[in-house]
Amino acid sequence: PMEVDLDKLPSGTSDPDKLAKMNALLSQFTEDQMNRYESFRRSGFQKSNMKKLLASITGSQKISMPTTIVVSGIAKMFVGEVIETARIVMSERKDSGPIRPCHIREAYRRLKLEGKIPKRSVPRLFR
Amino acid sequence: VMSSYWPFGLTGCLSVGQEMLLPRISKRNKTPLPETVALVEDIVVEYITDLVHKAENVASKRGKLLTEDFLYLIRKDMRKLHRSTELLSMNEELKQARKAFDVNEETLVVTNE
Repeated sequence: PMEVDLDKLPSGTSDPDKLAKMNALLSQFTEDQMNRYESFRRSGFQKSNMKKLLASITGSQKISMPTTIVVSGIAKMFVGEVIETARIVMSERKDSGPIRPCHIREAYRRLKLEGKIPKRSVPRLFR
Repeated sequence: VMSSYWPFGLTGCLSVGQEMLLPRISKRNKTPLPETVALVEDIVVEYITDLVHKAENVASKRGKLLTEDFLYLIRKDMRKLHRSTELLSMNEELKQARKAFDVNEETLVVTNE
């Protein structure tokens, strides 16, 4: 069976209006933005690794492909939210350079307040 | 469409060593701090774990875990919901395309004999 990377396929190609908007946006990109956008499109969790993780969490070996795909997509977007928020924290603090754990922690705290983090039934004691 | 563009650099190539998921978060494609990577990995694994446990609770009456359970959990998050349904329909399209391809292959083999 063919192994196709879903992220490589352009999103919304069936909608001409969406496609036009996307092209308009992409044509405005600087080279740096384009590189980063390409990295974003190509990046993702490996299906095999996600399957292993899901299997270990559920205790079941039978993890369907659609489940793996959905969780991978959700997790990727979640990572994006954390990083985006961390960048906002950095700009507020006028910090430059690489993202540091303190930025991530503050981002995590804000996302928690926004209700974007699923609540644990058993709370973590140390973080 | 606009929501799928992240203004910040994220290079995520995740590989697993046991339960490790290692995203590489880069600003202008430089190497990220390892302690930042470790923390994000920690957070993501916890996120996925809690998400799955919640989905299992939703699915508990039925028994088997379905994608609908996850879609239910993210129902209020429009970006995640749209992206998830998009991924699922793309996967379905590919499945159908592969099936059609296999059928065509068989037809070719038969006519060549």
